[in-house]
Amino acid sequence: MVAVQNGILGSARLSLAVSAGKLAGHTGRLLRVGGGTSLPGMVARALDPDVLRKMVGSTRARKLVVTGSNGKTTTCRMIAALAGAAGQRVFQNRTGSNLIQGITSVAVNGATIGGRLDTDLLIFETDEATMRLAVPEVKPDAIVVTNIFRDQLDRFGELYSVAASLEAMIGELPAESSAILNADDPLIASFAPEAKARRIYFGVRSEQVGAAVPEHAADTIRCVRCQHDLEYRKVYISHLGAYRCPNCGYERPPIDVAVTHAELSGTASTVELETPAGPLRLHLPLPGLHNIYNAAAAVAAAVGLGLDLSEAAAALADLRPAFGRLEEITAGERNVVLGFVKNPISYNTTLRTVLTRPGRKHVLAAHSNTVVDGEDFAWLWDVDLEELTPQLASLVVSGTKAEEVAMRFKYAGVDEPSIQVVPDRPAALEAALQNVESGGTLYILSGYTPTHELRRAMVQRGWVAPFWEE
Amino acid sequence: MPKPWTLRICHLYPSLLGVAGDRGNLIAIQQRCAWRDIGTEVTEVGVETVPDFSAFDLILFHGGQDKEMDVAAKDVGDKAESLRQAVETDVVMLAVCAGYQLLGHYYQPFIGPRLAGIEALDLYTVGGARRFMNHIAIECDFAGGTRSLVGFENHSGQTRLGPELQPLGRVIAGGGNNGEDGAEGARYRQVYATYLHGPVLPKNPWFTDHLIWQGLRHRYGEIEPLSPLPDGAEERAHEAALKLALRMKGKTTALEPTPWRR
Repeated sequence: MVAVQNGILGSARLSLAVSAGKLAGHTGRLLRVGGGTSLPGMVARALDPDVLRKMVGSTRARKLVVTGSNGKTTTCRMIAALAGAAGQRVFQNRTGSNLIQGITSVAVNGATIGGRLDTDLLIFETDEATMRLAVPEVKPDAIVVTNIFRDQLDRFGELYSVAASLEAMIGELPAESSAILNADDPLIASFAPEAKARRIYFGVRSEQVGAAVPEHAADTIRCVRCQHDLEYRKVYISHLGAYRCPNCGYERPPIDVAVTHAELSGTASTVELETPAGPLRLHLPLPGLHNIYNAAAAVAAAVGLGLDLSEAAAALADLRPAFGRLEEITAGERNVVLGFVKNPISYNTTLRTVLTRPGRKHVLAAHSNTVVDGEDFAWLWDVDLEELTPQLASLVVSGTKAEEVAMRFKYAGVDEPSIQVVPDRPAALEAALQNVESGGTLYILSGYTPTHELRRAMVQRGWVAPFWEE
Repeated sequence: MPKPWTLRICHLYPSLLGVAGDRGNLIAIQQRCAWRDIGTEVTEVGVETVPDFSAFDLILFHGGQDKEMDVAAKDVGDKAESLRQAVETDVVMLAVCAGYQLLGHYYQPFIGPRLAGIEALDLYTVGGARRFMNHIAIECDFAGGTRSLVGFENHSGQTRLGPELQPLGRVIAGGGNNGEDGAEGARYRQVYATYLHGPVLPKNPWFTDHLIWQGLRHRYGEIEPLSPLPDGAEERAHEAALKLALRMKGKTTALEPTPWRR
C-alpha cells in the first residue's frame, strides 16, 4: 500500500518539502501572521503529498493520536507533560491546529531538513473529521478518544456517523497498539468489542462530584444496543457517567484508570486515581470536571505507552491552561479570562466554571461563521445562557454573528438596550474592557476564530505572548 | 394588567428530537408570551404515553438524527390517532425536519427500513444521496401579505406533497422540500411543517407571533391581534440570515472546502 520512494528523487523531494515547510513556519512567525501551526504542513504537502506518511513511516518514535469532541488540546498537553517527565522527547501540535495541515506540521517542525524524525513520541491532536485522512498516514501506536458530543453538525454530519467511523478505525488497530477509551461515554465504551488492540478504559468513579440526572443538552442517553433510555447512577458531564441499561443490561465497563476521589475549586482540583501502575494523587491547576477527565485520559495514554509515572504529579502540577481554555491574562489594570467555546457542552462546562467565581460578570461573547467555526449557530440555543443572565454586569457581543448572539442573549433574559453590539473584534475588546472597573475581570466566551483574533489583539498590546512561543 | 390567558404547549419527544437547537423555538414562544403577560404551560411528552393532544393549543414536533428519529417513529404510531384528531380540531403544530417527515405517509431512509408516518398530511419523504446543508430563505403568504422566513436546513430527505397540500412557502434560496419544485414545507389547517432549523422561530418573530395567536384562538376563540413588540435584535438577525442565504444561493452546502480561508 505505502508507496515509499527510496530513490534519490524521492528523498530530494521529501527534503525540499520539509525545508520549504519549515521556512514557511519561520516566515509566518517573523511576519506575526501566526506561523508554525498549519502553514508548514500545508506548504510541505503541496510539494510532496506523501510527506507525512514518509516521515512517520521511517521514524522510531511512537505515534499517538488524540481525538474526540472536547478536551483534545488539554489532554495532549497533559500527555506531553507526562512523557517529558518520563524522559521522552516529544513533538506535538500545541495550538489546536488539528486538521491535516496542522498534523503534518507536527512532523515537519520536528524533522531534520532531510525529513528524519529523531524523537521519542509524536502526539497528533486530530479533529474527528480528519481522522480518516490522518490515521492511514500516521499509523498510530495508540488512539485516545476523549468523548463524543454534538459538535458542529453542519461540518461533521451526524454524531453517529462520526462515531461509526471512529469505531471502524479502533477495530482496525493492530494487536500491539492501544485504544484508550472513555468508559463513561456509552457510545465510546461500546466501540469495537472484537478489536485486537489493547483496550484501556478511563473514567470517573468518585462520589464527591457529579449529578443524578443528565442535563437537557445531553446527546446519547439511550442504550447503544437496544435504544432503551439508560439509567444513570451518577452523571458527571452531559451523558458521561455511571450508566446501565435496565432493558438489556449493557453497562459501563470496568475502568482501568479510574478517578476515585475528586475535589474541585473554581481554579484547580485535587484527584486520586487508580491505575494498573498503582495509585496516583494529582493536583491539577486547571478548574472543572472536564479537566479531571482530560487528566484521566492522559494518564491512561501514559499507561498505554508504558511511561514511567513516578514524576506524574510534578509534571501536571505546573501545567498552564491551553490556548483560550479559561486562560488568565493580565490586561493592564484589569484581568481577562479567555474562554474558547465551540459546542453546547464545552460552552456549558466553561460557563459553569465561570459562574463559580464570585461577583457579577463582565462578558464579551463573540462568534463568527467560517469554515472552522461552522455556519449553523443553532447550538447556541442549547447553551444554558439563562444561568449567566442574573450574574451579568455588562455584555458586549461581537463577530460576524454578533446579531445572532445578541438575539440569543435577549431571549436569555438580557434587556436588549443593555447589549452592546460591536462586530469588529479589537473594537469589541476595547469596549468590553471599558466596562470593567480597575482590578476587575472580563470574561470572554468566544468561538475559534474570534478567540484567535481577540488573543492577537491582546498580543499586540503586549499582555500575552503569541501562542507559538509557548 | 395581565391577561388571564395561558397557552398550553406540548413539547413532543424533547429528549429525542431537538438536535439543532430547536429548543430555541420553545424559548421564543415562552418569552414572547411572557413579554405580553401571556402565561405558558409546557408539557413534555416522551415515549410510551398517549395524551389527548386536542387538550393542547400548540404542539412542537422537532427534528432529530436518524437514530433518535427511529425511536420516535416506533412510538409515534401509538399517538397517531390522537395527533390526527388534534390536527383536525385546529390545534397549532410546528413540525420541523424529522417531525415534518413523520406527519406524512412514510419516510424511506437512503439506507435502512421505511419508517411509517402518522398520515396526518398527504406527503412522503425519500432519503437522497445529497444533503442540503445551507442557509435558506423562503417567502410565505399565509399571514397577510408576503413575508420571508429564514433558517438553516440540514436534511437529505426529499419530500413530495400530494396535489391538494399547500407548501409553507416558496424557496428564495436553498433546497427546500426536494431541491426541485421550489416548494418548502407544508401547511394544513393549523399545521406548519418545515425543514427550517436555525432555530426557525427566534429569527422570524412574525411567524412566532402567528403561531401564538392561532394557539390562543384555539383556546379562547376570536381575540384581538397581539400587541407588537420591539423587535430590533430579531430584525437584525433576520436581515443577516437573509443576506447569507442569498449569498450562498445555488450551493447545496454552505461549507465548500477552502482550507486556507478562515
